Amino acid sequence: MTDAVVIVLREVLEAMLLICMLMASSRAMGVRARWVVIGLVLGCLGASLYGLNLEWISMSFDGFGQELVNSGLLILIALMLAAHNFLAVQRIVDNTIKTPLVILLLICIGTVSMAVSREGAEIYLYLYAYGVLADNMSAVFSGGAIGVGIGLSLGTFYYYALSALDQRQRLISCCILSLVLAAGMMAQAALYLAQADILPSQFTLWDTSNIVAESSLIGELLHAALGYEASPTLSQALMYSGSFVVSFAVMILAWWLAKQRLLSRKA
Amino acid sequence: MRGNQALQWKTFYSVWFALLLLPMGQAIAQTPVFEIEIREHLFFPAELEIPANQKIKLIIYNRDPTPEEFESYELNREKVIVGNSQGVVFIGPLKPGEYPFFGEFNLKTALGKIIAK
Repeated sequence: MTDAVVIVLREVLEAMLLICMLMASSRAMGVRARWVVIGLVLGCLGASLYGLNLEWISMSFDGFGQELVNSGLLILIALMLAAHNFLAVQRIVDNTIKTPLVILLLICIGTVSMAVSREGAEIYLYLYAYGVLADNMSAVFSGGAIGVGIGLSLGTFYYYALSALDQRQRLISCCILSLVLAAGMMAQAALYLAQADILPSQFTLWDTSNIVAESSLIGELLHAALGYEASPTLSQALMYSGSFVVSFAVMILAWWLAKQRLLSRKA
Repeated sequence: MRGNQALQWKTFYSVWFALLLLPMGQAIAQTPVFEIEIREHLFFPAELEIPANQKIKLIIYNRDPTPEEFESYELNREKVIVGNSQGVVFIGPLKPGEYPFFGEFNLKTALGKIIAK
């Protein structure tokens, strides 16, 4: 049962941080957070489809289909988070700007459904094989429920902590959080691409596992929130910092555009 | 004269093309392949010795009907291998040392390590 708690919690944690951040920021941009239901339903559908088809997906692309799908999803999510930051920064500069709601909703629903599909596929496979097929339903499912419960309560805390801030502060915090989340995802994508030998294989740059081990609770939390990696390779570090620089540039562009609009309105 | 020139260009391009392909072929030929098996939620062998400072290709055969996730923090690798199938991951190059890995779906039993020498 503890296995089930750990497996489910690990997957839920990452998705939860993303979902709560988007719920908080979309509300600050004038959208009710009800979209999250659609995102979750689509995500669960995607997760079971991905889980069911994992065998042939894994076999395709010379046996690296799984790596390609995972890195593709991660990169798409990171791009969508950059687009989210673009909208959020415009709103920070000038609160009267009308955020294009359809685009914002598409970003939110798309991001959440892709993240849940990726994380959920593993949970689906685990629950199905070790719970349903192994006739061990009660232990595995109660363990899973505890995992989801811990994840949910952490998420609720996180969401209300963000909601307690005023609109401007909340959007700024969400931008910072999404910058870091996206960077962590790009580093994770680099890991999959190196695993498939698409990115060059490299020695690790450093090893901080004696300070914070990735397998420790703090390590897991840091990994979910900041993309912490105890022993990254050069390509992971480059993808992490590259993602940071690019989304920061997008944010500066959004800031500049909104400022121009403010100035022209005053003139 | 003109035919001669065309031939020269052909040779020129084919030499360059061959040179271009050479490192790729070498890289494929030089990557050593290792295999491990998952049986009854255990890794066989549980300790795998590989050459240090060199990229290797690891084939993981899952002989169980249940899925397993091959995962390692030290190796920066994670891959789900569904029941009765196999998965491939490239690993390294590694500095000499020990690199533990585990099966995420069976944290208590599915444990192993790669020893780079």
